[in-house]
Amino acid sequence: MSLPPSLRQSVTPPELELIACQQLVEIVPLISMEKTAFISGAYGPLRPPHRAKIPIWMAVNLKQKKKCHIIAPVWLTVEYLQQKLTQETTQAHFTQLPFRFAEISRVLLDVASDDLQNPDKLRTLLKDLREARQAKARAGLENLEHSTLGLSNLSAMEINEIRPFFIQAMAVLGQLQPVFNKDRNTV
Amino acid sequence: MSNWAAQYNRSRSTHAPAALLQDEEDDDDPMPPAIEQEPEPEPEPETPLEQLTRHWMNERHAPDILPVQDDLLGKLLDHIRRQSDTIQLLRGDPSTSEEEHIRIMLAQTEVERVKFVVRSYVRTRLFKIESYARYIVANEDVQTRITTAERDYASRHAQLIDRHFHNSVLQSLPESQTALDDTPSFMPSMVTEPDTRRAVFAHALRNTVARTPDGKTIDLAKGSLTLIAFAAVAELITRGDVELV
Repeated sequence: MSLPPSLRQSVTPPELELIACQQLVEIVPLISMEKTAFISGAYGPLRPPHRAKIPIWMAVNLKQKKKCHIIAPVWLTVEYLQQKLTQETTQAHFTQLPFRFAEISRVLLDVASDDLQNPDKLRTLLKDLREARQAKARAGLENLEHSTLGLSNLSAMEINEIRPFFIQAMAVLGQLQPVFNKDRNTV
Repeated sequence: MSNWAAQYNRSRSTHAPAALLQDEEDDDDPMPPAIEQEPEPEPEPETPLEQLTRHWMNERHAPDILPVQDDLLGKLLDHIRRQSDTIQLLRGDPSTSEEEHIRIMLAQTEVERVKFVVRSYVRTRLFKIESYARYIVANEDVQTRITTAERDYASRHAQLIDRHFHNSVLQSLPESQTALDDTPSFMPSMVTEPDTRRAVFAHALRNTVARTPDGKTIDLAKGSLTLIAFAAVAELITRGDVELV
């Protein structure tokens, strides 16, 4: 009704992309533009060939009209991801990655694959990283108990994937646990 | 062209141009190993849009209704209206150049994005109000967290549903069975309450302490992610120490 059933349980990936695209990315503009006031802040001036920082949604828009070149963020390089992948496969806990790396890398690979070095290798590395982390998340399910679970360094998309299942599992475990409720209203 | 400059000056006076500098979300990005020794830079204050995005996500994940942010909403709605007026003005003006068209297009895209977030926020709240309409009408505490308009909406919705049930089914039942707020033993009451024991993913923005319904106290380090009952972090969310992810 107010909220369609598909949105009631969880956040959808396109919504996560919307939030991720509010972050800034560096570009090399091909057109010039004065400093403009948008609702999220003022961006510009764009003076080619100087670099500028603008939100990802703006960069994607300009890139699709062939008016800029996107510069890859520091973490979207083969060396960095390779290093993280070896760390991920050797350690038991999750390595630290940018919180919204899955959404941002998908958007940039879709739109600006010619601006990134070696996009196919990047795609394979990201896929391997995702599989390694998913395996760890599944293993972490064993530690699930009825009250809390600490999971640092998970990214937004991964949390979204495991959310429905983990929440339900915790609810069931909570029901199995005897609860000493003196008064229903105390929290 | 002067409209943009005037707007820029006005927006500059109201909030810092945080967009040109690192915004708060970038603090999650790890620095490359060479510079790891530097102390963490102070996060810039959040822009209104970032605040609304945070409240929107909190509202989506929380099982209960969170306090309404009507002044934040009001500010953003004013800003949207001003931007739309400027866009209309510049579109109608025949002297706009090619570069101007790009700026107009970008501004329009952004207005649509912000309107989406505002709409989704209001819709999420309305959905929760509709689900818990009778509970809201009966409970004073929740009424402090919603606007007057939302409260009226809740009571009208509850009355409509009651009348519908009466006219369709309940009037044919014997008198003692026609109540809609029974509390039978061993079963949850007929008035649905928000389930505050549901687990949520809490991301701590500052070092805080959470108290679970079982009585355990949990330390939340800054930047950590915990799966915890909503009741334990409800106050921390209101204070802004924790956000739901």
